[in-house]
Amino acid sequence: MLRQPLCRALALSSPARAVPLASRSYSNPVPAEPEKVEVFINDKPVYVAPGTTVLQAAAQVGVEIPRFCYHERLAVAGNCRMCLVEVERSPKPVAACAMPVMKGMRVKTDSDLTRKAREGVMEFLLVNHPLDCPICDQGGECDLQDQSMAFGSDRSRFTDVHFSGKRAVEDKDIGPLIKTIMTRCIHCTRCIRFASEVAGVDDFGTTGRGTDMQVGTYVEKMLLSELSGNVIDLCPVGALTSKPYSFAARPWETRRIDSVDVLDPLGSNIVVTTRTNEVLRILPRTNEEINEEWLSDKSRFACDGLKRQRLVTPMMTDSRGNLMPVDWEDAIVAAARALRDCPPNKLLAVAGDMADAESLVALKDLVNRLGSENTCTEQYFPLDGAGIDLRSSYLCNTKIANVEDADFVLLIGTNVRFEAPLLNARIRKAYVHKDTDVALIGPKVDLTYDYMHVGDSASVVKISPRGPEGSALLAYTQELACKLQDKLQDKEWKVLNVLQRTASQVAALDLGYQPGVGKALQDGPKVVYLLGADSGVVSRDQLPKDAFVIYQGHHGDAGAAMADVVLPGAAYTEKRATFVNAEGRAQQTLVAVAPPGMAREDWKIIRALSEVIGERLPYDNLDEVRDRLSEISPALVAYGDVQENNYFAQARALAQSLQKPVSGKLDVQLKHLEDFFMTDTISRASPTMAKCIQAVLKQKDSPY
Amino acid sequence: MAAKQAIQVGTKIVKPVLSTNHAEARLRVLSLYKAWYRQIPYIVKEFDIPKSENQCREKLKELFMTNKDVTDIRVIDLLVIKGQMELQESVNMWKQKGHIMAYFKPTEEPKPKGFLSKFFNSNE
Amino acid sequence: MSIVKILGLDKVASFFNIIRQNGGIRGSLYKLYRQDELKDGTLVGEDKFGNKYFENPRYFYGRNRWVEYSDNYNMNYDGSQVPAEWFGWLHYKSDLPPHKDPARPNYPWMAEFTENLSGTTGQYTPYTTTRPKVEPWVPERKSTV
Repeated sequence: MLRQPLCRALALSSPARAVPLASRSYSNPVPAEPEKVEVFINDKPVYVAPGTTVLQAAAQVGVEIPRFCYHERLAVAGNCRMCLVEVERSPKPVAACAMPVMKGMRVKTDSDLTRKAREGVMEFLLVNHPLDCPICDQGGECDLQDQSMAFGSDRSRFTDVHFSGKRAVEDKDIGPLIKTIMTRCIHCTRCIRFASEVAGVDDFGTTGRGTDMQVGTYVEKMLLSELSGNVIDLCPVGALTSKPYSFAARPWETRRIDSVDVLDPLGSNIVVTTRTNEVLRILPRTNEEINEEWLSDKSRFACDGLKRQRLVTPMMTDSRGNLMPVDWEDAIVAAARALRDCPPNKLLAVAGDMADAESLVALKDLVNRLGSENTCTEQYFPLDGAGIDLRSSYLCNTKIANVEDADFVLLIGTNVRFEAPLLNARIRKAYVHKDTDVALIGPKVDLTYDYMHVGDSASVVKISPRGPEGSALLAYTQELACKLQDKLQDKEWKVLNVLQRTASQVAALDLGYQPGVGKALQDGPKVVYLLGADSGVVSRDQLPKDAFVIYQGHHGDAGAAMADVVLPGAAYTEKRATFVNAEGRAQQTLVAVAPPGMAREDWKIIRALSEVIGERLPYDNLDEVRDRLSEISPALVAYGDVQENNYFAQARALAQSLQKPVSGKLDVQLKHLEDFFMTDTISRASPTMAKCIQAVLKQKDSPY
Repeated sequence: MAAKQAIQVGTKIVKPVLSTNHAEARLRVLSLYKAWYRQIPYIVKEFDIPKSENQCREKLKELFMTNKDVTDIRVIDLLVIKGQMELQESVNMWKQKGHIMAYFKPTEEPKPKGFLSKFFNSNE
Repeated sequence: MSIVKILGLDKVASFFNIIRQNGGIRGSLYKLYRQDELKDGTLVGEDKFGNKYFENPRYFYGRNRWVEYSDNYNMNYDGSQVPAEWFGWLHYKSDLPPHKDPARPNYPWMAEFTENLSGTTGQYTPYTTTRPKVEPWVPERKSTV
C-alpha cells in the first residue's frame, strides 16, 4: 500500500524516533473554561468568553457588523475600518473585529456615530475604487457593492482638482487562474493572509504606503499554490476574479446546484453553477467536517474539462478497427453478446477513479450474476491480513476535521499536499495554531510547513509499498498505530488513517471490489469491462490479442481509445450519485446539467445491459439501487454521516503474520505542483489545467 | 356549521340534465350507440377513410367503453350530448376526414414502457 | 398568296424539313421522346456544357428561342442547367448571345457556373456557426483506409 496512507501517530510516551520534543506533553486535558463576561450589544446583554471580539459577540446576538478585512478563518487584520462601532465611554469609534470585549462594555452598532464612521470609511473606499461595476465580474456578489447600498453616499465629493486622475494600479499577472484588476483593490489583505496562513505560500504582500500601497507578489511571479483559487472567493471586491470564468455570467443568471467534488478523495462539498445546461464554474460549499470553505484548484477549475473530450454517443469498432458512432441498441447488444459468450473466469471488470457507488454495485451484481468474481479497482491496496474486510483498515478513521486536534502527525508514503490538498490545509492549520509536529516517511516534498523528514526508506516503519511488501507495510503501520493507541489517554482517538487516492475507491472497497488489477490481468481475461478506468493500469499490451474491451465512462481517454465498445456515461455533475470519501462519509452529487448527447446515467447503462444479456438486475430506479446499496452497507446511503470504525486490534492480529522484513523506498506520484493539476480524465481534458502546468513550468525557469 | 353545510351539499337535489334515473340514462346511451352504429357504413363511404366498417365498430365500442365506469347521471347525460354533437357533425359532413381519423390516433406513438424500452427510446 | 400555301404544302415541306434537321426518323423520335416537341431552327450557339441554343422566328414569340440540353444529361435535364450567360438571351433580356456580346464582363474571379444541386450529395446544407457547448471526443483512427 502506502502510496496512499496518511498515518498519524501521537502521544509517544517513550522518546521514539519521531518525537522532536520529548519534553512536550501531548493530549493534555483542556484547561477549565474561564468565566464568561457580560457585554451589551445595542443594550442586549450577551455572555461571551473573554478574548472574543466585539464583532463575534455581536454575531452571537444576530447583529451583523459590516466588514471587509475580517474573515473568520483568517487572522484579524483590522485595516479596513468598516467595522467601526461606537463603544460607550470611548472617545473614538473602535474596530469591532480587533477589539476584545471587556466586562460591561456597551456597544452601539447602529448609532449615529457608528453610521457616520462607516459612511466616512465607505466614502474613502469609493474615492479610490473605480466605477466599473457594469464590467466587473464581481458584480452581484460584491461586498463593496452590497455595503455601499447601505452606507454609500448618493453623490461623490471626489473632484479631481489636480487632474491627476483617480487612483490606478497596474494589474499583476499571477497565473492562469486568477485575474487581477488591482485598481479595484481596497487593501483588505485577505488574500495575503490566506496565502501565508492557509495556503502556506508567502508570495503575497503589500508594498508602498498611503495612496501608493499595492497588494502584489513583489516580483512578477505566479501564485504557486494548489489552493490559490480560494482568494477569488475571499476577495470582497473584484480585484481578484476567476480568469476562466471572466465575463461569462452574472450570479443572478445562474442556477446553483449543491454537489460533491470527486477529483480528490476528500469529497469536498461544492456548488455547481450552471446556465443553459452548461457548467460555468464550481464554488466551494461550507462543510466544517470536510473542506471548511476552501476548495482545491483542481476541483474548482477543472470543470471546463467537462465540456471537452466527452463521449456523447455509443461507439463500436467497425471492420477496420476504427471506433464508429452507433445506436444504443447496437452498442448494448454487442457488449451483451461479448459478456454472455465469455467464460466466467475470463471476465474482468475494472472500476476507475470516478465511478459512483450506484454504478459500482450494478456492475458488481452483473458480473457476479455472470458467474465471475473479478471486479477490481485501479488503485492498489493490500488484500492480505484483514485486507478490506475491516473498514478501519482502509479509511481515514480519525475523520478529516479531527486532524486539527492532533498533536503529532506521521505521514507515511504520501504527499498529502497534492493527494488531498484540503487535508494538508488542515494539517497546516494544526501545525500553525496548535504546534502540531509533523513527520514524513517518504520522498522529501514541499508540504508548505516544516516537518521532520524521517527518510524515504521503507524500513523506517519496517514497511514498504506496492506488491507483497505493501501488505507488510500496512501490517507494520497497523502495529505501530495500535501500540500508540494503547498509550493514549483518549481511548476514542483513532490513530491509524489510510488516505485513499481516488473518490471511488472507498465505495468500491465497501462493495467488495478487489483493489488492484494485477492478479486478474495475469489470467488473460477475454472480456474486460472498464467502468471509467482510464489511469492506464489496464492497457492493450497486457491483454490477450482477442480480448474484447467494453469501456463505459464520460471522457475519451486511454480507456475509450483501447475499447471495442464505448458506452457514454455521465460525469459527476450530470447524475445523482453516491460517492464515499476517504473517511467513509457517503455523499451524493446532484444533477446540475443533463448528460451530453446520448450519454446516460452509469447504473442505467449496466441495468440495460443486464436485461439484454438476460440476467436482469432487480432495480429499475435510483431508489431501488440505493436500497440495494443499503443492503450491502447502510453506511453507503447514510448521507453526510460517518460511521465509527473499530476492530483495530483484530486487524492488527490478522496482519501479524505479514510482518516480514521489508526494504525498498517509499515514493509518491505527485511530487511537484505541475503533477497535481492533471490526474484524472476530467482534469486531463481541461484546458485551464493545461495552462496551469505550463505556467508552473514557466515559473520554474524564471529567476524568482 | 361546516357539518351542516356538508350535509346540505351531500343531500342537495341536483337538477337533472336530461335523465332522472339510471335506466333512462342507459336508454339514451344505447340509442346514441345505435345511431352511431348505423351511421358507420356511411361514414366509411363518405369520408373515404382507410378503415373497414368492422374496425370502425371496434373503435366505436372502445370509445364507449372508456366511459363505462361513469355512474353520475348528469355526467352520463353530458357525455351523451357530446356524442350526439359529434354524430351530428359527422352526419352533416361538418367534420373532415382528419377529424374522423383522429379517433384512431394514427400518429400517436405509445410511450415507452419498461426499463429497456425507456432506455433505448427516450433520453433517460 | 401562293398556291403552295393555299394547298398547305409549305406545312408539309416544313414537316419534312424538321424531320431532316432532327436527324431523320430515328433521331426525331428520340428528340420527341426526350423533349416532347420537334422544332426546326438555326443553331445560335453552344455553351461549354454542350447545351445547344436554337432560334426560329417563325414560331410565336416566347417559343422562338429554346435550348436543347446536352445528351450527357440524358433525361435528367432541368432549367438550372442553362448557364447564367445564356439565361439572358434565352429569356429575351438580350438579343445578343454571349459569344457575340463584347460588353459581357469576364473577370478571373468569377465562379464556375453550377446547376442546382439540391437533392444530390453536392447540395448546400446549412450548418450552425455557434460553438458547441460540449466538444465530443474523436477517436483516433487506427487505419486510414
